[in-house]
Formats: sequence, C-alpha cells, structure tokens
Amino acid sequence: MGISLSKLTEKADIWPWLLLAPLGIYMLIFFIVPLADVAIMSFTEPKVSLANYQKVLTGALYQRVFLNTFLTAAFVTLCCLAVGYPLAYLMANSKATTAMLILLLVTMSFWTSFLVRTYSWMVLLGNNGPLIAFLQMIGVDQPPQLLFTRFSSTLAMVHILAPYMIMNIYSVMKKIDPALIRSAESLGAKGWSLFRHVYLPLTAPGIANGSVLVFVICLGFYVTPVLLGSPREQMIAGLIGHQIEEFLAFGLGSAMAMVLLVATLIILTIYHRRFGLDKLWG
Amino acid sequence: MNTFMRWAGCFVVLFIAAPLVIVVPMSFSNASSLQFPPPGYWLGYYRSYFTDMDWLIPTWNSILIASATTILTMALVVPATFALVRHKFRGKGFADLMMLMPMAVPHIVMAVGYYSYFGELKLVHTHLGVILAHTCLSVPIAFLVLSANLKGFDRNLERAAQSLGASPTQTFLHVTLPILRPGLIISSLFAFIQSFDETVVAIFISGRDAETLPRKMFDSIRQEADPVIAVISTLLFFLVMIGIAAPYFASALRSRVPKPSRPASVAY
Repeated sequence: MGISLSKLTEKADIWPWLLLAPLGIYMLIFFIVPLADVAIMSFTEPKVSLANYQKVLTGALYQRVFLNTFLTAAFVTLCCLAVGYPLAYLMANSKATTAMLILLLVTMSFWTSFLVRTYSWMVLLGNNGPLIAFLQMIGVDQPPQLLFTRFSSTLAMVHILAPYMIMNIYSVMKKIDPALIRSAESLGAKGWSLFRHVYLPLTAPGIANGSVLVFVICLGFYVTPVLLGSPREQMIAGLIGHQIEEFLAFGLGSAMAMVLLVATLIILTIYHRRFGLDKLWG
Repeated sequence: MNTFMRWAGCFVVLFIAAPLVIVVPMSFSNASSLQFPPPGYWLGYYRSYFTDMDWLIPTWNSILIASATTILTMALVVPATFALVRHKFRGKGFADLMMLMPMAVPHIVMAVGYYSYFGELKLVHTHLGVILAHTCLSVPIAFLVLSANLKGFDRNLERAAQSLGASPTQTFLHVTLPILRPGLIISSLFAFIQSFDETVVAIFISGRDAETLPRKMFDSIRQEADPVIAVISTLLFFLVMIGIAAPYFASALRSRVPKPSRPASVAY
C-alpha cells in the first residue's frame, strides 16, 4: 500500500514538468540565451574588459542621456497621471452609457499601433498642420518649431501611455464603495479635504500600478522618441539602437542595454515585493 | 472638485480622440506632404497602397509572421498554463514569474540580444527568426489571459463528466476545451496583435527579406513620411474598431449584457 501510494505521488509530480518542458526549453533557448548574450557582449566586445561600463557610467554624453531618460519618464508619468485621473473620475462618476463610450475610446487608443499614433502627432504638430495654422491665425508670426523637439516626443508619449494609467485608475475607482464617501461627508468632510483624506488614498493602488507601468515602458521607449524627438536629445533606447545600427558598437550598446535592464528590473522588483508582478498587467 | 474634474475629463477625451481620427481625412488627401486640413480629396493613396509591392509584401509578411507566432505561442503556453494553474510543485513561484519576464525586459534590450544571437544562428533577416522572437514576446500576454480563464474554471464540471463515465480524453475534448474556448480565442488574438504590432525587434532583425509592416512604416516615417502611411493607419484604425465592436454586437445579438473587455498590455 505504502509503495503504491508513493508511486502515485511520484507519477503525479512528473505531470507538471512534462507540460512545462516545451515552453521551458523554448524560453531557455530564445529568451535566456539572447539576454545572456547581451550581458556577455557588454564585457567582451571588442575585448574582455570593464571599459564599456566605465565609458557608459562616466562618459558625459551617456550620463546626460541617462539623466534625460529618467527625467522624461518621470515627467511623462506625471502628465499621464494629470491626464488620466480626471478622465478615470469622469468615467467612474457618469452614467453607464457615457462611461462605456469613454472606455471604448480609451480601448481604441490602447489598441491602435504606437506607429499610427506617432504618425498622427506628426500630422498634428507638423509645419503644415492644424496647430501651427492655429498659432498663425491668432497672430503668432513666427510659430515655434513643434515637431522633432522634446515637446513633440513628450506629448506623443503621454498620449500613447495615458491609456495604461486610465485603465488602472478606473478599475480601482469603479470599486470604491459610495457609502464610504457618504459616511465621510456625514462626518463633515467636504471638497478638498474629502478628496485628500478619503478619495485619493482609496485610489492610491491604481495610481501606483499605472505609474510604475508608464514609467517602466517610458524608460525603454524606442519608436516615438526616435521618430518625433530631437536628434540631439536622445533617450537610452534610441542611443542603444544608434550604437548598434550606425557604429556596430555591440559592446557599448550591450552595456547600455544592461544598465537599462537593471534599472527596469529594480523598479519592477520593488513593485513585485509589494503588490505582485501579475497584478501590474492584469 | 467635482465640476473641475468633469471639465478636465472632457478636455482629456478630446486629447485622446483627436490623434485617433485625424488619420482618416489625411488618408484621402491629395497633398504629397503632411498638410492638414488637406487641400483636396482623392483615393490615390489607397490605390498606391493596394498596388505597391513595397507595401503589400510587408503586409503579407506581418500576417504570416503573426499567424505562425500565434500557433507556436498557443502550442507552448496552453500545456504550461495547465501545469501552473492546476498543479502545485516546487519552483512554481519561479516558473510563474518566468512566464511574465519577457514583458518586463525592454524590447530594445531583446532586440540587441536577438540581433547578435540570431546573427550567429543565421536567423537574421528570416521569417523564422522573427517568428521565434515574437513568440517569446507573446508568451506573457497569452499566459495572463489563459491563466485567468483557467483559474475561474469550475472543476466540478469535469468531475461530473467523469462520474458519468467519460474518459479523461473525452472530458478534455467535450467539457474542458469548449468551456475554455473564449479564453483560448482571446489569448490567441492578443498573441496575434502583439506580433502584428511589434516594432522594435522587427526593426533590428527582420531585414529586407522578412520586412514586417511596422518596420516598413517606421522606415517610411523616418525617411519621407509617405502619405500611404495615413492609408494604412486608417485601415488599422477601422480594423481595431471592428475588433472592439464585434464582441458587443455578438453579445447584443445573443441578448446578453455587453461587457467592455479590458485589454492586457501590448507593451513597448
């Protein structure tokens, strides 16, 4: 009896491994090895040394790009919050049909390719576009260059990433029990203090989720800054691509990629300890 | 606070909507540059798109690569999800985390890795290379959707089938699969879109031979901003609209209460 039972559990134990094996092997060959390749190249290209890291971590150009990337990501996150919070509030506090229409719009935006939305901003901000025309109409003779500046890439990134923030905050706001607000009001809280001490803390998990997601995506953003930003104010991802494509500098590119990866993973690890990574996208 | 939030909200609606719809009039423009509002309207750029092999081949490549990616992703993820949701074993927490990792790594980092690694394997500039890379990136999304579905699965249904005499295979085919079908369809769709939209890795490894539509669009926007992009954007815009509206109509036809689907991330 004892023998057959232990055999049974052994048999039961092998099943999950059998089911996991194909994906496990696949991920090893096509995810872990390419990542390890980047890590190795950062130390060995063109020759075995720490020179790449020394250059990346102390060179003025690289420091400026890293700083620029972090500041941009932080600013974009703040803008997404400023844009997303009121909209999520509007959705959570209007009639079901209005809320659904706005949700449809946000979902549309979310599903529309980054490239399409980047192209749209090129049209909107271009020299023959509506914004410049509007500026000329109200009497600005020499309208400023909007396209290919820090302004245009930031604006487009806020537009592209705002849906992540909105979805996260909205899903939290929707679940707030109106009785909590009513009881706070009956105890004398109103206006700003009601918002500050009751509503804002209740929505904090959504804000945290949305902010981490937007910040992390923005840190590694390639497409939009490259297409819309100023060539003189690159972000990390753009500079990595530049090193690889133009100079075939795999060592430098890899070292920068590793710095970006470590920064991203540190943020996500802190998040994972607190909330669990599966909650971020779910 | 209330009125301020409402006005701000309305303003944000405009901010989100304007860039989405502006591509539609642009696609009918007869200007050769980015001029808005367009000086006149015609269908010329639609004809250019549907007759120009430089655009049709990347479109075909993208459809092919996304389809193959979807099949490969599902073949790998479905069994793995069953293992992770239905079994307890040592190292399960780690395996769960690993499933999500490709989502946590910035795509530019993966692009550098694939560019060098696939270069050694002679997989750069091949369809197979892009499919293998995209499958890896699609795994987390397919897993998230499917595991959420499987966690909500009432296993008593399977027990009932087996107590009525169904074999494990029969139970799986006639009970488990039909109930999981919506989850399977949605996770396949997400895997497809993830691959179809993926830009960064494709820019680095697809080359001229396996050029995908996002790569072609990226190059075109970078170089001359060909107005054909507005046509493709409009077509993609309506595809997304149909994709989102279809479940509403389907459920309205079945006279159920429609529920807006919350998309998972198709990040970077």
